[in-house]
Amino acid sequence: MADVVAGFGVSHSPHAPEAVRKAGAGHPLVPLYARVSEAVEAAKPDVLIVFDCDHFSTFFLDNWPIFAIGVADRIAGPNDGTVMPRYELQGHAALATHIHRHCVRCGFDPALLQDFEIDHSILVPVHFIPPTQAIPIVPIFINGFVPPLPSSQRCRALGQAVRAAVESFPEPLRVGVMASGQFSLEIGGPKVAPGRRQGVPDPDWGVHVTELLRAGEYDALVAEATFARLRKAGNIGGELLNWIALLGAIGERKPSWIESQRAEGDGFAVWA
Amino acid sequence: MSVYALNKLCHRTLGDLAFRAAMQRDPAAAIAEYRLTPEERQALLAGDVARLYEMGVHPFILSFLTRYEICGLTAEVYSERIRKAHDPGEAAWT
Repeated sequence: MADVVAGFGVSHSPHAPEAVRKAGAGHPLVPLYARVSEAVEAAKPDVLIVFDCDHFSTFFLDNWPIFAIGVADRIAGPNDGTVMPRYELQGHAALATHIHRHCVRCGFDPALLQDFEIDHSILVPVHFIPPTQAIPIVPIFINGFVPPLPSSQRCRALGQAVRAAVESFPEPLRVGVMASGQFSLEIGGPKVAPGRRQGVPDPDWGVHVTELLRAGEYDALVAEATFARLRKAGNIGGELLNWIALLGAIGERKPSWIESQRAEGDGFAVWA
Repeated sequence: MSVYALNKLCHRTLGDLAFRAAMQRDPAAAIAEYRLTPEERQALLAGDVARLYEMGVHPFILSFLTRYEICGLTAEVYSERIRKAHDPGEAAWT
């Protein structure tokens, strides 16, 4: 039987690899990713499940799933032109298949994805968290961008179903779970900053989310994270659903470390 | 309504370098093959991103146009125009 041994929450700006390359170790993202990296090293996961929102890179509007599970032995990218190194990761097709089947049996209907590449939203964290580069991944995609979004309750239940699937997997795997996403961000919509194509319209929401997570107030977070509230935090605010799915998978435990960047609308956390 | 076609052609500027160059050089010719309404065509060629947003073009995809400064859309111009847009509501998105 496999176990969920740890959780990791991160953001994934596509500009980060170049910004950090130019700025060096003094860039504020460096210590944040380093902290997560140490936690991944310590948790020694055999496989990493990543809750992620695709940015119209793996999917397009011709076929846009609410939930999808990536089942493959090799998963490469980025496929969205992000300026960063290319990575060819291992997938964990056996666990991914098991999760897909389990989810369908228990009332979820995720799309099955078998021939695909992934974008910056998984590979920027992988870039900055070196131990993840050698761990097979299972990407689970949640629609956080194209209304109607799945509800926060549904996403938490998805995480719970994924946990149950992991616990019924016959091999004794140590499974890590990662959520990749912002708390507040607007790209290309009316809430962008003056003169820019993006902005953080609701930094206080990011801080509030961080406080609820720190306190383990997961029921309150799920109740507050309505579609209207996520939209107020920006048209990328739906990425919080990845974190909420992680909460479903991680159970009741509180994060062992969490820190937010108010002005960036994001946060980093570890459940060890 | 051909919002899907608008989304598709904005998205195409990301990965199709020849199409991106054509959109930068002569957008009216580049979009000739797309079945757009006259209003959609006019809004696109004018770089009227507020109108395109209100028609239901996804803002993440719409903002690709400013990455490559298509139809005069520098970041400054894009931002100034989109900040005046109204949210079209859920019905416009799908």
